[in-house]
Amino acid sequence: MSTVSVRYIVNDVDEAMAFYCRHLGFEEQMHPDPAFAMLTRGDLRLVLVSPVPADHRGGGSRPMPDGAKQEPGGWNRFMLEVSDLDATVDTLREAGIRFRNDIVTGVGSKQIMAEDPSGNPIELFEPIRAEARLEAS
Amino acid sequence: MTGDPLDALRLPIVPIDPRPEFAAALLRRLEAREEPALGRGATVRYFVDDLDAAVSFYCEQLGFEEELRPSPVFAMLYRGELRLLLSVPSEPHALPDGTLPEPGGWNRISLQVSDLDAAVRALRERGARFRNEIASGVAVRQVLLEDPAGNPIELFEPSAGYHERS
Repeated sequence: MSTVSVRYIVNDVDEAMAFYCRHLGFEEQMHPDPAFAMLTRGDLRLVLVSPVPADHRGGGSRPMPDGAKQEPGGWNRFMLEVSDLDATVDTLREAGIRFRNDIVTGVGSKQIMAEDPSGNPIELFEPIRAEARLEAS
Repeated sequence: MTGDPLDALRLPIVPIDPRPEFAAALLRRLEAREEPALGRGATVRYFVDDLDAAVSFYCEQLGFEEELRPSPVFAMLYRGELRLLLSVPSEPHALPDGTLPEPGGWNRISLQVSDLDAAVRALRERGARFRNEIASGVAVRQVLLEDPAGNPIELFEPSAGYHERS
């Protein structure tokens, strides 16, 4: 069972699904509405929604009461651990995937920010210290 | 000759046929554990402007536990399988053109609660801000809470028809 749930706002759910499943190893769990899809990858459940009108049956991407529309982008992101960041980035660049930056070496990991087709960030990281590894916990 | 009086409580041992498909599935599951970074939780990074305020909020209001706070600009929290990294925007996170990340946006973690009305009431009493009112969708009721930096956190309560693949 996927135990961590993250929702990303995307412009086009079909396009986003293709991206996450083809390039990042996600699996489609359900796609019951053009504006909604649920994908999983390990313990991560990724809900992709496109902005919908206030009267749409799906509640997760309606505008706010003041009319503010939900939109893709921002800086908060989920992170995917990879074992060889250089190789992963090479592969993704060859596939035409965009990145916001180049590989940065931090305290606990090497990391980079990829973008999905709507411009949402995805952080890819390779642990260089034990504490940064998920299984250390 | 009397037998063991406990025999009456014991279940008969029934011979069973071996099930190759069960063994194959078990082997697949065991081998899948070798895959790195799958099935061991998930990590999310949020940017916050005030690390102390953020750590207090997530730990006191939402049940996270502080795991690491090795610097004034970084903390690692856990809640179940979710590892939440809180980062204060700083140079290592700047883009090549110098742009710094900032809190906010609409992408978010979603936390399941069993009683959304009660959770929202309790959070409001403690001064928490929300972006909207509870909205009913297809399978869940949900609301958008904000952390002190203005990052969204979705709280949801499953309703009839909620589906979760086990």
